[in-house]
Amino acid sequence: MIPIETVQKVLAAALKNGADLAELYLEDKDTLSLTLDDGRLEQATQGNDMGGGVRVFYGNTATYAYTDDLSEKALLEAAQAAAAAARGTNEARVTIDLTRRESGLLFPVQRPFDQMSAADKATILRQMDQAARAYHPAVTQVRASYNQTSRRVWIYNSEGVWAEDDREIIELVGVVTAQKGDVRQTMVGAIGGQMGLELLDRDPVAAIEDAAASAVLMLDSRPAPAGEMTVVINNGWGGVLFHEACGHCMEADFITQGLSAYAGLVGERVGPDFLTAVDDGTIPGRRGSIRFDDEGTPSQRTVLIENGILKEYMWDLTEARRMGRDSTGNGRRQSFRHMPMPRMTNTFIAAGPHDPEEIIRSVKKGLYAKKLGGGQVEIGRGDYVFAVVEGWLIEDGKLTAPVRGATLVGNGPDTLRQIDMIGTDEALDGGRGMCGKGQSARVSVGQPTVRVPKLTVGGTDREMTGMMR
Amino acid sequence: MDYFKIAQSVIEQATAEAAEAEAYIAIGSQTNIQVQRGEVEKLSRAGSKGLGIRVIREGKMGYAYTSDFSASSVQRATTAALTLADVADADEYRTLPEPRPLPEADLQIYDPAIATLPTEAKVDFALRMETAALQADPRVVMTNRATYLDGIATVYLVNSKGFSGSYDSTFAGAYLMAMAADENDRGVAFGLGVATKWAEISAEKIGQEAGERAAKLLGGQPIPTQEASIVYAPFAAAGLLGALSQALTAEAMQRNRSFLQGKMGQDVAADVVTFLDNALLPGGMASRPFDAEGNPSSATRLINEGVLQAVLYDAYTANRDGTDSTGNAGRMSHRHAPFLTASNFYLQPGQQTPEEVIAGVDKGLYVVNTMNTHSINPVSGDYSVSAQGFWIEEGQLGQPVNNVTIAIPLDKLLLNVTAVANDLIFLPFGGSIGSPTFRVDGVMIGGT
Repeated sequence: MIPIETVQKVLAAALKNGADLAELYLEDKDTLSLTLDDGRLEQATQGNDMGGGVRVFYGNTATYAYTDDLSEKALLEAAQAAAAAARGTNEARVTIDLTRRESGLLFPVQRPFDQMSAADKATILRQMDQAARAYHPAVTQVRASYNQTSRRVWIYNSEGVWAEDDREIIELVGVVTAQKGDVRQTMVGAIGGQMGLELLDRDPVAAIEDAAASAVLMLDSRPAPAGEMTVVINNGWGGVLFHEACGHCMEADFITQGLSAYAGLVGERVGPDFLTAVDDGTIPGRRGSIRFDDEGTPSQRTVLIENGILKEYMWDLTEARRMGRDSTGNGRRQSFRHMPMPRMTNTFIAAGPHDPEEIIRSVKKGLYAKKLGGGQVEIGRGDYVFAVVEGWLIEDGKLTAPVRGATLVGNGPDTLRQIDMIGTDEALDGGRGMCGKGQSARVSVGQPTVRVPKLTVGGTDREMTGMMR
Repeated sequence: MDYFKIAQSVIEQATAEAAEAEAYIAIGSQTNIQVQRGEVEKLSRAGSKGLGIRVIREGKMGYAYTSDFSASSVQRATTAALTLADVADADEYRTLPEPRPLPEADLQIYDPAIATLPTEAKVDFALRMETAALQADPRVVMTNRATYLDGIATVYLVNSKGFSGSYDSTFAGAYLMAMAADENDRGVAFGLGVATKWAEISAEKIGQEAGERAAKLLGGQPIPTQEASIVYAPFAAAGLLGALSQALTAEAMQRNRSFLQGKMGQDVAADVVTFLDNALLPGGMASRPFDAEGNPSSATRLINEGVLQAVLYDAYTANRDGTDSTGNAGRMSHRHAPFLTASNFYLQPGQQTPEEVIAGVDKGLYVVNTMNTHSINPVSGDYSVSAQGFWIEEGQLGQPVNNVTIAIPLDKLLLNVTAVANDLIFLPFGGSIGSPTFRVDGVMIGGT
């Protein structure tokens, strides 16, 4: 993107005051998004966002200056601004040998985005809209969106790292509203991936029809019960459970200062011996995947928990340098305007030994969380929540009645220890996860069907709790 | 650089192609400082700029953006917007507004101190905030992500109907996580403050609130499942009110996506409930002289003593209903087209103090924090979140409570508000949302 001689000049300028490490990050992002709502293609937006930043490390401090002007002059000014506060004793280097890192990872794009016109992409949204409305007369409103992002990044640092990545992301999201009398329900159905137009072979109409089915079903649902009960969480997007219950607690910026409930527990048993959980940034086709993270570290498959034993956390360069170890390639940033921090990629519980149908049959009285919304976590204690948008009562091992949205509350360390059944049906979500941590990152979540003996369900219905008082 | 001239070039190119056009330019600079254990960990400073171009031709809208202001880039972006407009469906209600007189108001949204203050003063703010948290209670053991951030922005808006305007604004804010621990328990609490002016945020107050809340919640346990009264602290209610504001837009009403649809003129809330949206609030985080389309800012009384009497409009929804925009077009950045949203949205404060509201509760839960407010559904009215707080017994605060859920349908919640206190504060949860302490009866607490 810019001449290598300019990169070297910028890095040298950043090291002028004796900093330990200097980094230049460049980014070029193109997006196209289309939204159909209320039966009309209403929004069609495209644009480019290009810029870069210079980060200077000295001791435990990093300063960062960014710019949307990628001329040599502007980048040198950024380097000077970032270096201004650095106080170190390192010798300023005049030349830095940059060696381009190659990645063996293939994230193929079979059909690039420009092979289909925006008008044809809009047609797909119209098909989704028609299918959702035709699904059932109770469907009263539909919103369908198409989004494509091409994000190219270049990372160089004064230790000789030179890495490039090109992330092509395509997403289709449908939001269906159904109504019966004065009762309204909405449901989201989405598919997405890191690939080209071949995502469209995955039947976006099926995804929005599924949302329509759920929304209509929920019109006749009962309020969810309130109180403690056994909960079975569906596979795939059910992985929001692990993402919230443990994932954030295992990000190194919450670990190294001892903040997280999981700090200092490497080598300890945290769950049953049939529980293995992984963060894997190398999986082709997934929105959370990266060849290199946004600091130039190659991504990897990191085993977080193996057979119930905590093995590893997720690291970026800042925390890795603090502890004198290597990054795991989890240093991600939302854009060139942001500094990196440890973020998840594709995070999931691996397949276990139990038959998924047996898991449901095993529950005398409880809740099946078939579809989840989002969640949140308090990382000091590990208390987490997630929303159930489509639930089913389980009575004597059978799904009996659909129940409406409720928040489920648990404690991460406690939940992991409690999990007593993990299904063989490991799956990742269909491609819709956005994780927020002050900045946003695309992620995947996943798991098999999982049984947790006791979680608190936040419904409004007293009857089903079976509590005697 | 003459930003009005750049904006004008967009208008000229578009009108030559028989289109209406709007050019939005945002120029800004931002500072972000994170401290830990008395030292700066991360410091970031930069300027930014962006241009967003909206065109409408025969009722079809296209949008393009760029941060490259060279003539060739601006021309390409305008062409891209025009090409994309052809992809959209025609809609007779999709037009740009004619210029209307802007209100004369001293909005107090620009503080020159934020531009002139040296970085050292901002670093010092973050360090004082951290210290205040650590000193708030002997059980506070550490802080994390203690951050000061500020921004200075100038917005320029020009459209082909003759509107041309600009304004400056600033914000300064800080937040941190404080962790408290004792032999049996540990927990993290957030502290947060944000304002348009430097002098209006207090490092000591933010840090102390976070430290105190973390310490006082130690030992919190669930309580038995039961229906009870809830008293919300402002920090715990802001997310709920932010979700509620989405149900009060004309777009949600017109498109069947509000639990309040069809209830105009009806009693939808208790008499003590009045909700307002005011884009002219002096010092308001969302205050501005004109909205993202150039329509004048205004104040709208949405629910008045329990009666739903108005909703929020932008130009498009106003055209649909044959009325005027309330000036509620917002914009997330130059990369986004305008959208209908609340500005400074708040529950009108009452007369009682928060202590008096708590004292009036025989048995209930004083909620100081909730999680998962982004699950609140303004379409269905489903409301179920987790809560932390203190049990109230005969008007007195008692033991800390943790890991419970609180749930009640939103339509019932509005009707069940029985007391509103006088301590209105604004927080950035889902917009610029203002809440005082208030009480709701008949909430289902999910616990043991």
